[in-house]
Amino acid sequence: MSRRFLSLLVKETIQFSRDRAMLCLILFLYTAEVVMCTVALTFDVKHVALAIVDQDQSVRSRELIERFTVVEEFRTVGRPVTEGQAGEWLRSGKAVMALVIPRGFAERLGRRESAPIQVLLDGTNSNTAAIARGYALQIFGQFERAWAARLGHVVHSIEPRRRVWYNQSLTFASFMVLSMIALASMMIGVIQPAASIVREKEAGTIEQLMVTPISVTELFVAKTLPTLVMCLLAVFPSLLVAHAFDVPMRGELGTFVVLTGVFLVSAISLGVLIASVTRTLQQALLVSFFGLFPILFLSGTMVPIESMPRGLQLVSLASPLRHYMEVILGVFLKGAGFADLWPQTLALLAIGTVLFTSALIAFRR
Amino acid sequence: MDFRRIYAVIRKETHEIARDPVTIWVSFLMPLVMLFLFGYAITLDVKDVPLGVWDADRSPQSRRLIDAFAQSGYFTLAHAIADERDLTVALERGDIKLALVIPQAFGQRLARSSPTAVQIIVDGTFSNTAQIIASYADAIVLGASPPARALLKPEVRVWYNPEMRSVNYVVPGLFGVILLAFPPLLTALAVVREKETGSIQQIFASPLTSAEFIAGKLVPYGLIAFVQILLVMGFGLVWFEVPFRGDLALLLGVALIYVFCTVGLGLLVSTLTHKQVVAMLLVLVLTLMPSFLFSGFLFPIFTMPYVMQLYAAVFPGQYFVELSRDIVMKGASLWDVWVNVAALLAYTAAVFWLAAWRFRKKVA
Repeated sequence: MSRRFLSLLVKETIQFSRDRAMLCLILFLYTAEVVMCTVALTFDVKHVALAIVDQDQSVRSRELIERFTVVEEFRTVGRPVTEGQAGEWLRSGKAVMALVIPRGFAERLGRRESAPIQVLLDGTNSNTAAIARGYALQIFGQFERAWAARLGHVVHSIEPRRRVWYNQSLTFASFMVLSMIALASMMIGVIQPAASIVREKEAGTIEQLMVTPISVTELFVAKTLPTLVMCLLAVFPSLLVAHAFDVPMRGELGTFVVLTGVFLVSAISLGVLIASVTRTLQQALLVSFFGLFPILFLSGTMVPIESMPRGLQLVSLASPLRHYMEVILGVFLKGAGFADLWPQTLALLAIGTVLFTSALIAFRR
Repeated sequence: MDFRRIYAVIRKETHEIARDPVTIWVSFLMPLVMLFLFGYAITLDVKDVPLGVWDADRSPQSRRLIDAFAQSGYFTLAHAIADERDLTVALERGDIKLALVIPQAFGQRLARSSPTAVQIIVDGTFSNTAQIIASYADAIVLGASPPARALLKPEVRVWYNPEMRSVNYVVPGLFGVILLAFPPLLTALAVVREKETGSIQQIFASPLTSAEFIAGKLVPYGLIAFVQILLVMGFGLVWFEVPFRGDLALLLGVALIYVFCTVGLGLLVSTLTHKQVVAMLLVLVLTLMPSFLFSGFLFPIFTMPYVMQLYAAVFPGQYFVELSRDIVMKGASLWDVWVNVAALLAYTAAVFWLAAWRFRKKVA
């Protein structure tokens, strides 16, 4: 390493550490944002606003209703008298689901006939609706089994026993913490180098650097190394956040850090690539968002990959974040090591090499 | 207010935008890319989930149960599991998402019609899909059980979105997201750029009042935002066949208020800093991330803890996303949604008042 390279590196590091706004953002994304998202965001559906119309007013109907009121999945918002009124509540958004128990419910059950029951569901949010419907059917099933047991016959002879691995309580928290950390690395990795290079372009100082004896490769490395180091360091406070949320760390920290570094090379190269093809900060930003969005989207953080159409699943193989998500989930939740993660490592290396070479070529120009 | 002077600012700003094809392309392509990705990819319809089967019984009954899984369309047989270790490795590598374990003597017990159990092991990494996958598996197992008489006959009727298509709720939500993502960014950068280069001093020295300057800056970006909405709406309705039940005029009217609101937010950000990078970071944290995460677009607000519900209420996205869904999906009238309209109006007024106040202070 030559002295001029070192001095350039020192200059870039100083510049980076002076940039208080960027440092604040990095810290914010790696800690506060992770905390907020984990606390607030969940696809787990709880406290669905439920309206109950009990036209039967019997012991049986109250038994069924109690099964709905004791679980935390539903929150009873009131008991409208008629079905029409319940519909009005659905329309105004006061209730998301309405349970209607028609007159004669207990009588039919007593006569061992099947008793009809009605559920009205606001399908506006199809995700919530699908899950709420699942809950309701589950409760009906429990009620049915209990009632059948009392009558003395077996309803289903095969009982499915469900076991969940890696995430026993089926909480979204572990997943959210880890995906927000991955997201933070991705965003900072792209935006920081893009902004720092374009800023020099706009200010014209990049020409001055170009006429110095520093080689383009040296400049490239000096520009990107501080980001890489900073992002690797920033991971540690977020590990504390992960610890606070009881995210298990079943694998090796070393594996995680090394693969994070490999992943960051892709992100940073993308940032440099964007900076090379744009002229102003505004352009660089917009193009960054334009590029970041599909990468985030196809990573499985927002939408599980297996539920995407086949075509998109193939495209998602090109998203470095997808492989990194698998790495981070594997290391933390499953205790996976290099032996298990070699396909992801290879994919990350391949994507990184392609992006890095194209960034270097674009940067030369 | 002199309209000639405002017009002059608009023309200057339009020239500047027109000179920057990258910005225009990204502004118009990005919403469409978002629409298509969200439209095609967000679906909780579970299909072809890789399934591993550990059949310790190998009886006609166990094979019938496995067939029921294979023919359901939800699962594909990806792996035949031989032992405990095999099971662990397959789940760990992600080769399978769900394992069905059929114990020995499963068939015998069934033939004697004594109760028996099978085990369903789910990869819980993504809890939401895990839940849905597991409930499908439960249903298949119960369905394959020898028939019993049903005691309850539940009838579930889903309103407003009977097929439960996610694109139906994604499209109206996306209006809110796009309008909170782009206009603030473009407006904030447009003003801060002039501050950074110092050209804003010339504007202050000119007879142009700050209100005229602001109005002139707002109009072009407001227009871009409006075209974005029309694009998303057009493609959403025509390509994705999202049913539109409500009043188009009402939606456009509300969207207009919202555009003012988001552009005003951009303006407010621009008064907080004189550096483009800082403006961009502020926009990122104050509008872009919340627009995705805390607007109710993907993650419903009612499931958040109370404190975070308050946090979400600070951003305008929630009000508009709700309005837009009510109007598009439920066919709501102004009378039905006046609370949210009033909230949005009050919010917009507050943002402009704050921005104008900060702006004036800077000039004086």
